[in-house]
Amino acid sequence: MSGSRSDAGGDPTGRAAVRDRLDRVEDPELARSIVDLDYIDSIDIDGGRVEVRFTLPTAWCSPAFAWMMATDARDEVEALDWVRESRIELCDHMHGEEITTGVNAGDSFGETFPDADGDVAAVRAAIADKARVSRQREAVQALLDAGVDPEQIVSLVRADLTVAGDEAHVDVGGLSVVVDAAPVADYLDRVETSGHVTESDDTLFLTPEAEPIPADELDVVQKRSRLATVNMGGQGAVCDALHRARHGPEGLSGSESTPDRSTVDRSAYDGDVGEFTSTWTLGDDD
Amino acid sequence: MYEKDGEEIFVIDGHVHLWDARKENIIHEGGEQFLQCFYDYHTGFTPEEEQWDIDTYRHYGADKMTQDLFGNAAADMAVFQPTYLDDFYDEGFNTTEQNAELAEEYPERFVLNGSFDPRDGEEGLRYLEHLKEEYDIPGVKLYTAEWRGESKGWRLDSDDAFEFLEKCSDLGIENINAHKGPTIRPLNRDAFDVKDIDDAASSFPELNFIVNHVGLPRLDDFCWIAAQEPNVYGGLAVASAMSTHRQRKFGEIMGELLFWLGEDRVLFGSDYALWNPDWLVDQVMNAELTDEQRDEYGVELDVETMKKIMGENVAGLYDIDIEEKKRQFRDDDISEKFDLGAHYGGDAGAAAD
Repeated sequence: MSGSRSDAGGDPTGRAAVRDRLDRVEDPELARSIVDLDYIDSIDIDGGRVEVRFTLPTAWCSPAFAWMMATDARDEVEALDWVRESRIELCDHMHGEEITTGVNAGDSFGETFPDADGDVAAVRAAIADKARVSRQREAVQALLDAGVDPEQIVSLVRADLTVAGDEAHVDVGGLSVVVDAAPVADYLDRVETSGHVTESDDTLFLTPEAEPIPADELDVVQKRSRLATVNMGGQGAVCDALHRARHGPEGLSGSESTPDRSTVDRSAYDGDVGEFTSTWTLGDDD
Repeated sequence: MYEKDGEEIFVIDGHVHLWDARKENIIHEGGEQFLQCFYDYHTGFTPEEEQWDIDTYRHYGADKMTQDLFGNAAADMAVFQPTYLDDFYDEGFNTTEQNAELAEEYPERFVLNGSFDPRDGEEGLRYLEHLKEEYDIPGVKLYTAEWRGESKGWRLDSDDAFEFLEKCSDLGIENINAHKGPTIRPLNRDAFDVKDIDDAASSFPELNFIVNHVGLPRLDDFCWIAAQEPNVYGGLAVASAMSTHRQRKFGEIMGELLFWLGEDRVLFGSDYALWNPDWLVDQVMNAELTDEQRDEYGVELDVETMKKIMGENVAGLYDIDIEEKKRQFRDDDISEKFDLGAHYGGDAGAAAD
């Protein structure tokens, strides 16, 4: 994190409240908080006006993902009742100017990028589904560890599961099995965001294609879930390396040694950057 | 050749470029951005003492490339993967013709791939025929995410692409190297999509589909498709560079690839000059899985596996006879240039003499 954050106008309580809200904004590909990921450069508060600046690991991060983070940050900050006005600035990104302007004007993605192919909602849905798949593994594993059979696990429906405090109760044919709530609650959170398993009699665990799981395929579905998690982590490793290449190991304050890209007008760029320019984002590392 | 646990491993670098990103060759700002982005990848995954300055990185030239690849026998052979980018670079960034200058100087050491873009239509088909005739290309490198005019990319499972794949099949161009990269300008419903590989691979079982960068950031989709399509392969460019600072991640990715694809369908590539086999080969050879990863995936990066990943699998795709090559390299131009004759005269030589 940059040491240059300004405390001007700083109300420590207000700043903490803003950070708490921003903590709920996730990098969509990693399903991790943009605060944890160190993307936030500064939070400035002036009365009821809040300005947040953030930078992604690479100027090439997908505009759609950048857009999602910027709009989510805006919505979270504006959810605070004392905030009258917010401004979100995406720094050092090839489409930073357009995204900053569009998000603060309340424009839609389509208005900001009229030639975009597809929409943000579809991308959000795809990402939410990846998170669902990724988080299912630990929830299922918790049940397996508690002695629930694969046959029983695949036939569970939403109503069979209740989370109470630190415990999750699973109704297995009239018998209640108790497991640690954390992985189960995490899964339920993700599955809800993904739009699946909405009714109480919906099958609880699903294949990546959102189908019920045949009992003899539970193991392969678990492995696909592991794979989804490894994929997210792999992206994280790539983007963390780019983050360091761009800003130095100390974060943004180390940027003196990197080439100055601010002279390049990125907004006019409309070509392909074929080779792995990326939607990758910073993640946990080794 | 690399020596590991007393055994020789013949290394074929499956992914190299000879590019020109000098300022005078750049005709669009995208060209500069492209190169800068590459340089981020270079510095991000290269040990500090091995990093190049930006000017060298723009244009390193054929001599340096030859030295880097073969000077210390880090690689024994290499496969060119062209990247045209004609809109950005006056003479192209890394075209078949540019690569051919070096490939034709040392034909025994290089495999030269071509390229096609189905949006070129009839003219593109003629160009593909020309590449086959002129260079006898055994494969193509493709960029499905490339924008052109109104088009924001193309799909390998489209009718147009199938026409080109049909042509490849007719011409005996068997190796289809697809870069599955995201479109960088908004936005793309295909941000996660490697799925067009699926239909193409099952429709053209006689062709091999090598997915470069193992589909990252869509490793999950890629592995699942590859698990079902026996003619789909994973190219390790980028993934192999993770062995620099991210050994555990590298191990995880290798574990997944070996689990879903098996050891016969994973191919090493340095992506030179993004990274240099000069040090990368050694680093990958020394990478190990953690005990936890061995248990989880039930696989090993042992000598037999590494022999396949680092050379034999590529050799299989391009019909390279490794033993014949070892004999040939005792006195080819490269071995003379770098005094490597003895290096190739080892135990493999006895039968030939």
